[in-house]
Amino acid sequence: MPAQSLLTATLEQGLNRLLALDPDSADRLAKLHGYRLLVFLEPFRRGLALAFSDKVDVLALEHEHSATVARLGSNECCIKTRLDVLGELSQTSQLTRLIQQGALQVDGELQIAQHASNLFQSLDIDWEEQLSRYTGDVVAHQTFALAAHAKESLLGVLDRINAGVGNALVEEKTLAAHRLAVMHFSDEVDRLRDDVERLDARFSQLQKQLKNT
Amino acid sequence: MSDNPVVSDNSPQANHQADQTHFGFRQVEKSKKASMVAGVFDSVAAKYDLMNDLMSMGIHRLWKRYTIDCSGVRAGHKVLDLAGGTGDLAAKFSRLVGPTGSVTLADINHSMLTVGRNKLRDMGLISNLDYVQADAEALPFPDNSFDLVTMAFGLRNVTEKQNALNSIFRVLKPGGRLLVLEFSKPQSEHLSKLYDMYSFHILPKMGQLVANDAESYQYLAESIRMHPDQETLKGMFETAGFEQCDFHNLTGGIVALHRGFKF
Repeated sequence: MPAQSLLTATLEQGLNRLLALDPDSADRLAKLHGYRLLVFLEPFRRGLALAFSDKVDVLALEHEHSATVARLGSNECCIKTRLDVLGELSQTSQLTRLIQQGALQVDGELQIAQHASNLFQSLDIDWEEQLSRYTGDVVAHQTFALAAHAKESLLGVLDRINAGVGNALVEEKTLAAHRLAVMHFSDEVDRLRDDVERLDARFSQLQKQLKNT
Repeated sequence: MSDNPVVSDNSPQANHQADQTHFGFRQVEKSKKASMVAGVFDSVAAKYDLMNDLMSMGIHRLWKRYTIDCSGVRAGHKVLDLAGGTGDLAAKFSRLVGPTGSVTLADINHSMLTVGRNKLRDMGLISNLDYVQADAEALPFPDNSFDLVTMAFGLRNVTEKQNALNSIFRVLKPGGRLLVLEFSKPQSEHLSKLYDMYSFHILPKMGQLVANDAESYQYLAESIRMHPDQETLKGMFETAGFEQCDFHNLTGGIVALHRGFKF
């Protein structure tokens, strides 16, 4: 279907364009030469294959997940996950937890997934250098310096607004509690819960004693 | 005894009709069609890619991409790209089959093959590609040679289409598949009318303007109308021996991808 083909074509074009902007990506891509990473993202039924050579080819897979895994070759790795946990995959420390929770399923050669992850996560693109090709060094440098300054100023303004709103809510209007007060309240709640549990245990014990007598 | 005995008609008129085939809307001698088609492609080869992009507004790339998605091609496979023209499919297959596989780009037309070879070499694709000038009706390959045969926008130009399908069946390995991407019959009447207007009025003018050749593009429009529709072509696949045959209409049936397996 052309719509699906348009999606894979756009993705392929985008990935290869990004890789081309990082001169060091060629070495990382070479490690994946001849391998394929198959990706299924729930709730989508059809998966995608990333076939690695001197570039990345993106193909729509013919079969559903179980049939694809049954046909898995030695140079392939199949990943099945959900769209909402995609962001967590970048944290390697979370992978075991995700697998245990069933939010991530990996079949085949795990190294392919690791190398592919490294290929994209290690992308280091000098955007200023890229812009300078079209505008010249001076304009590119000034644009990026201006953008960095604007970002810093914006963050400063956001911090001030945050502090001001927080102060107004806590001190002036007393609509929200101070952080320390919330922590103290939480501690008090914990203590009360412990007391109730202790009392409950004591009652149970007394009930048993009464029954025995 | 048969209820419908076959009557052999050896009259000169019947023999004359058997020797005829269509070239667009015209009837020509079968022996002449191949050279006439060659004339068309010799004329358009240099501007073939540009005209494809203009005529289809780039959608032919998506049709070809869908064909590749349905190919099931893997590293190590042997692929035959028949009527491969300027090598759009072969370029992709070359990367997908890798160094352990091979792609044979075959075309009956030398001009198209030369354009395709030059284009693929310019793309740096050399190691696993072969080029063969071959007639689809009599493929010069041993039996059971290929895992996949593809033919994109080529079958309608073949004189005896059934012979070509038989020949492809022979060279496919058991388990292999054939994919034929070809113009077909639009499924909606409105689309069909719009498509007719585009093909017979705009397309030849476009051909005249860009490739300085209106006739070849008039032939293109006519040859599409003379090509078997989806169901007929599927039946021809089955006659050749293919199994699990199906087709997918693309862009409302303007193009159809037929698929068949050899088991």
